[in-house]
Amino acid sequence: MTADTWQVVAAVAVFVGAYVAIATEVVHRVKAALIGAALMLAIGASDGDVAFFSQDAGIDWNVIFLLLGMMVIVGVLKQTGLFEYVAVWAAKRAGGRPYRVLVLLCTMTAVASAALDNVTTVLLIVPVTLLVCDRIGARPEGFLIALAMASNIGGMATLIGDPPNIIIASRSGLSFNDFLLNLGPLAVVLMGVFLVLIRWLFRSSFSYDAERAAAVMTLDERRAIRDPRLLRRSLVVLALTLVGFSLHTALHVAPSVVALLGAGVLVLVSELSSDEFLEEVEWETLVFFAGLFIMVGALVNVGVIEYLGEQAADAVGGRYLLAMTGLLFGSAVLSGIVDNIPYVATMSPLVDDLVGSSESPERVALWWALAVGADLGGNATAIGASANVVVTGIAARNDHPISFWRFTRYGLVVTAVTIALSWPYLWLRYFVLA
Amino acid sequence: MHASDLAESFPVVHLDDDALPATRALAKEGLPGLVVVDDDGGPLVVLPASQVLRFALPEYLEEDPRLAGMYPEEEADAFCAALEGKTVRELMPSKQFLPKHDRDRPVVGADDTIIEVAAQMSRQHSPVVAVVDDSQTVVGVITVHRLLGAALGSS
Repeated sequence: MTADTWQVVAAVAVFVGAYVAIATEVVHRVKAALIGAALMLAIGASDGDVAFFSQDAGIDWNVIFLLLGMMVIVGVLKQTGLFEYVAVWAAKRAGGRPYRVLVLLCTMTAVASAALDNVTTVLLIVPVTLLVCDRIGARPEGFLIALAMASNIGGMATLIGDPPNIIIASRSGLSFNDFLLNLGPLAVVLMGVFLVLIRWLFRSSFSYDAERAAAVMTLDERRAIRDPRLLRRSLVVLALTLVGFSLHTALHVAPSVVALLGAGVLVLVSELSSDEFLEEVEWETLVFFAGLFIMVGALVNVGVIEYLGEQAADAVGGRYLLAMTGLLFGSAVLSGIVDNIPYVATMSPLVDDLVGSSESPERVALWWALAVGADLGGNATAIGASANVVVTGIAARNDHPISFWRFTRYGLVVTAVTIALSWPYLWLRYFVLA
Repeated sequence: MHASDLAESFPVVHLDDDALPATRALAKEGLPGLVVVDDDGGPLVVLPASQVLRFALPEYLEEDPRLAGMYPEEEADAFCAALEGKTVRELMPSKQFLPKHDRDRPVVGADDTIIEVAAQMSRQHSPVVAVVDDSQTVVGVITVHRLLGAALGSS
């Protein structure tokens, strides 16, 4: 499309306005994204064909339906009581000792975040964590902050683990196995470091009271599993879905198709009502994504992203290590300030321009730098990642408010350490050893 | 017939009252709910009995009712012990009982007709509404039984 100058200026103004509204939370983020999308259509920066059918400048339906499919799968899994069972079982295995309990809960959260998605995982883990904290007499705030961070680190390991990864995968064409093999090892190392770090960060939450700890042993986790048959069926379908993800390239199907197939089969075998399996679908998030894609797509459509891509390519000029470093640290900083979803949605077309169709490791490293920076940068503040927003919301409802600054105090330390460790990993793997 | 004609006296609970005796009164007198008034005596919220249960339950059990099944039986039997030493004021904000808008409060004016009272009750899914005078002071309440009795008697 050849856009008039006024349209370009107006599109940028709408985009910046919506971004500021989202970052400052002056208006609800869904409202901001929808108004922004409507304005982009109104000024002609996008139109119906582009917004709804263009692969480069329209709504990324792969992302929307992958998220929808995974939310349905989690919705069914939730009915099984599996999360509650495992969490209480872990707390009992830890003997009610707070630090051990937190280590097991964080590990469980990280693994579940990688296999499902981190936002819905924390939704399921947080209530049972509050119960466990109540029983062992521990202040839950530190536990909840740690769980949100563990979900962001664990979610980084896979294509489906964190919403920014889903956007990156769809734009870059990187597969589930690409994510697992490239970011999985880093996530494992960072989780190990994180589990040591929380011993110091949340040390005031770990006072052990033998009498209180005994209370957790009286909980009967088996009663969480009301329908063992549903549990067995759900686990089989989940396993098949994960196998499907790992084979999606060989099978020539998009990850969103795998997720929808998994969701469809699970709905079929679970025999749950639509109210039940749709319970975990966050319609607001899906609408937010759609609005965001229309806004970013409009910038692509009027040529702003292409222009910025050219400027970035000129600035980089083949110095990919510098670009990787800038992208990693820049993404970490910006993802702390703005929700990492709109940030990655905006940056993906830019990085796509920089990487092009090249498969050279140092160019593809830019995608990994974006993913790592955005995923881990999301830990920096309470609004950096969706999982943080969900956790602080539930904490507030349960009379354990976690202020923005309290989260940030810990978040900055964790982000600084994890990003600092990620840089040598990316440098060694894609520039030295590649 | 107007709301003031149907209004019955009804115990009201102040924000600084202990939550446990208030709940106990509800059980003992078989009341359909509690009227909570603010510092000025105006109705802050009307809680149906089922909602009063939430006073005693941790929020996380509402987020995930499956967790309730894990409690040992003797503790489950005594779940109201959690109210010990807590005031109604302490429980209100975290329980999100407070309505977002004035229109969401189950309150009717003294001059409202029976059908207005019924509409408000139905809209709020509340078996009890508070009746207030022009100065917004509670003059009584109307229960769903009282309302239906009057409505059926006059039809």
